[in-house]
Amino acid sequence: MAAARLTARSDADLIQASKRGDLSAFEEIYAAHAGRMKSIAFHLLADRADAEDAVQEAFLKIYRAAGAIQFDSGLASWIYRILLNCCYDTGRKRKRQAETPLAAEPAITNNLPVQVAIRIALGRIHPQYRMVFWLFEVEGFRHSEVAAILEIPEGTSKKWLFEAKRELKRLLTESRA
Amino acid sequence: MTFDCKDLERALAVPELLPDAREHAKVCDACRRELWLWSEMSTVAPDLREDWETPELWPKIRQSLAAQQKAAKPHGLGGRLGWRGDWRMLAGLAAVLAIAVSVFVVTYSRPAAAPAVRQDSDFLTEQTLKEVEKTEAAYRASIDKLSRLVQPKLSASENPVAIADREKLMGLDSEISNVRATVAHNKFNAQLQTDLASLYRDKQDTLKEILQRAQ
Repeated sequence: MAAARLTARSDADLIQASKRGDLSAFEEIYAAHAGRMKSIAFHLLADRADAEDAVQEAFLKIYRAAGAIQFDSGLASWIYRILLNCCYDTGRKRKRQAETPLAAEPAITNNLPVQVAIRIALGRIHPQYRMVFWLFEVEGFRHSEVAAILEIPEGTSKKWLFEAKRELKRLLTESRA
Repeated sequence: MTFDCKDLERALAVPELLPDAREHAKVCDACRRELWLWSEMSTVAPDLREDWETPELWPKIRQSLAAQQKAAKPHGLGGRLGWRGDWRMLAGLAAVLAIAVSVFVVTYSRPAAAPAVRQDSDFLTEQTLKEVEKTEAAYRASIDKLSRLVQPKLSASENPVAIADREKLMGLDSEISNVRATVAHNKFNAQLQTDLASLYRDKQDTLKEILQRAQ
């Protein structure tokens, strides 16, 4: 997490250089964030090709909008907000285009490794709780960062994480009872 | 404090109670399992992260960005002389140039047999424009109606999807307003009218989707 997070100074430097047309500066922003962006996009879209498309679209939007960015909310949270919007757009388009119903979710059985069981259980909890769990526990963002990305109060981020874990615990406990 | 199984949930929310919960878990299998699951979730969560190589992704993005940059760079005499004109002036010059080129092409290059088709596809007639304006009015009425239904649901929600919807609608409103401003000076341009209609359709679809989700 710390390695990928940019400092406020380098945020400003890189985005300023990008605005001047320096693509190598923009590539640094890409290198710092693309891995985590792909992972988040994959989590939301469940398809690698769709995730890559969403990340590409997000970077094009980021570049176009770079001139208007305000640094008080930080570059990273702004980047991930744009990514989430791109994912929601892609998800909506895919939903419109979907011709076949989605496959039934696998059952959580007590012989599954915890990691697999959590992955399945995550699909069954409230999307808000799931998103906070993913950003905090999986991607390693802090609550202040999760709050900035989702534009919610920090207390709400903490509350939703607790609810996410409580729901997951319930689902996993039931399956292992 | 006498810790009971029913206190476990509260202990998970209040870290100060966790030592008591752990003490209780030493003698309670069910609570021990739940406590283990609680911490195991955080332990295994980072392994859920999806990571794969995409060596072709940055070159694709770079290529699109380079194309954007090329399109945005100042061309021609002004660019070569380093002139930094007002964008409205540049847009005006571009429009004049485009009209001049169109007139030249229409006058000198077009085969004599096809003028009507060419004219019909690029510019609207008075009659078609009336129909387009009527359709636009209908779209706007429908959108206003949908917006009135959607707005209370959307503005009250902190759900990330609602936030994304709000941002998308704001983006669409801004694009619609830009295209309308351009259309106001160029009402007979079929492409601009098509773009505007497509934006209205997109906004209408988005509002309908939000409404369906809310019901």
